[in-house]
Amino acid sequence: METEESRGLKELSGLMGRFSRFWSIRPFRWSRKRALVTTALALLLVVVGVLLWRSAHRSEDRVWERIQRSGVWRVGMDPSFPPFESLDENGRPVGYDVDLAQAIATCWGVEVSFEGIGFDGLLAALWADKADSVISALPVDPRLARDVAYSVPYFEAGLLLVVAEGTTDIAAPDDLAGRRLAVEWGSEGDVQGRELRRRLPDVSLLPFPHPQDALTAVVAGEADGALVDAISLRQFRQQHVGVHAVGAPLVSVPYVVAVPRHAPRLLEAVNDALVDLREEGALQRLEETWFGQ
Amino acid sequence: MTKWKQLLRRRGRRWAKRLALFAVLFGLLIAPYGPVVLVGPPQIVQTRNPGIGVHTRLTDEVEERKIKRTLEMVREMGASWIVEYFPWGYSERKPGRFNWDHADMVVDHALAQGLTVIARLGFVPQWARPKETFDTFLPAENFECFGDYVYAFVEHFRGRVAHIIIWNEPNLSLEWGYRPVDPEGYVELLKIAYDQAKAANPDVQVLGGALAPTLAPSGSEWGMDDLVFLQRMYDAGAAPYFDVLAVHAYGWKFPPDAPAESDAVNFARTELLREIMVRNGDGHKPIIITEGGWNDHPRWTKAVRPGQRMTYTVRAYEKAQQEWDWCQAVCLWAFRYPWPAQTHQDYFTFVSADFVPKPIYLEVQRYARGE
Repeated sequence: METEESRGLKELSGLMGRFSRFWSIRPFRWSRKRALVTTALALLLVVVGVLLWRSAHRSEDRVWERIQRSGVWRVGMDPSFPPFESLDENGRPVGYDVDLAQAIATCWGVEVSFEGIGFDGLLAALWADKADSVISALPVDPRLARDVAYSVPYFEAGLLLVVAEGTTDIAAPDDLAGRRLAVEWGSEGDVQGRELRRRLPDVSLLPFPHPQDALTAVVAGEADGALVDAISLRQFRQQHVGVHAVGAPLVSVPYVVAVPRHAPRLLEAVNDALVDLREEGALQRLEETWFGQ
Repeated sequence: MTKWKQLLRRRGRRWAKRLALFAVLFGLLIAPYGPVVLVGPPQIVQTRNPGIGVHTRLTDEVEERKIKRTLEMVREMGASWIVEYFPWGYSERKPGRFNWDHADMVVDHALAQGLTVIARLGFVPQWARPKETFDTFLPAENFECFGDYVYAFVEHFRGRVAHIIIWNEPNLSLEWGYRPVDPEGYVELLKIAYDQAKAANPDVQVLGGALAPTLAPSGSEWGMDDLVFLQRMYDAGAAPYFDVLAVHAYGWKFPPDAPAESDAVNFARTELLREIMVRNGDGHKPIIITEGGWNDHPRWTKAVRPGQRMTYTVRAYEKAQQEWDWCQAVCLWAFRYPWPAQTHQDYFTFVSADFVPKPIYLEVQRYARGE
């Protein structure tokens, strides 16, 4: 009499038989079906493995965990570039980036500890674990994207075409044909101006010793436009009126926060904070504070 | 029989095709990467100031076409001299086994462009120093090994390279293996290198010094004031062991006409080094500036505005030619890097890594052409 147990055993042995027939390697025959199933299984294993590895590593962010645990966020900075960062008379760091770091830290409920580091050594400080992040008017360097992680930009410092208020017929560099373009002699604006003149030979290039002089020439009507960086323009507009930028930057120089490559949760938190600060208008207020606009 | 012949002929053709295909593939595999670059016919530098020079950075430039293009642009700017680094550790990876392939390539292209090459020698190979030491660390017991390299270099490049610099900035700790600097030790090295260089080619000009301009206070762990170091070199008997003093003349924020002062680093500090030479009976020897210049990084604390950099640079070339008859050449740092350093160093260059001439390049070119 066949018991339930013996039926189960028979079914199991049948299954194993089919399995062993399917996988029997003696004599070994690579049927197309077997090859397909084997390949599919191998691929599945690889995909699952990769997903598991990624999720395990994604959740692991010792930098972020340390910040949370200690309540201190170490920010590397070279305080020699006002108004972004400099030292006040008491030796304390002040500036746009200082306030930005404080605002981000407030979002997280932690304190900021500013680490003074020379500009050329800022990213090395991340690798050497001397800082958790760098906020120091730092432009993106795509070549280092494998070594550090960059946040979304918080400030665009690139090269702008600037015209006098009321100018309606210059919206792009090509509109400068037959006109006068002011640049700082030897600067990136000069390089771009010379490049423009190769395309439009009737552009007159007017070199000045300082970007402020180039902008003054625009206000005075001595030049029809100027190519200057966004910081120089903002600083000029602190004390002068009558000029504004048109179009997108000719050369983009976005400032970002840099974090270690192995700190994905910290990067996510920085990005979230920057988005929130932008939406709340806090970044605009920082500009008003430090550039008076 | 005919049938067999036809079969053999068919097979023969088939094998011939296979062999031809194999030969093409094999040729592609072993062929050097990139196009063949010819040295080209000899050129002449057109310039109003034959003392204009630059320090090139071709040590790590792999592609020959880029080496050639760099040196063409040096000539086209109106510079006649280059200083180039030929690291000992690259050419003698194993004791006594020299490989000059890359060095030959650089020198041959430079000569074809009509340039005079000053070879800077240094960089200790791993086998000549203890483990865990930096490539500027050369123990005294291996000074002779460096001397052997100097001999081999001078002998190999006899007729092509007539100037060599012995070591770089030995008054900085980092250039002396992160040890306390040692003027007397450097003079010992200089003596050995000088004797070996002259043994290989009595006509070669040996440049000593190449000191970093620094105001390091007495007892500093980082370095020694260059004026103090040079006098200590003379005190240690260095005079007979160099033909030319190599000088590093950085301007920092000062214009080239700012007066020389012992407590300031500026271009005219060169005159103070010259005074020390004269005081020590070496006034008959020339000076060659093998590094120097200005930087226009937007935020480096010792940088100037781009326009100032251009004005100062042209004036420096002019000043050396007009006022310093003891100065043979001014080779400013640095013509071009193989790739951007992404530091303030990029703002010393005349040409971008992808060969775009900066305004300073065009300005020096304009001056050299007398425009």
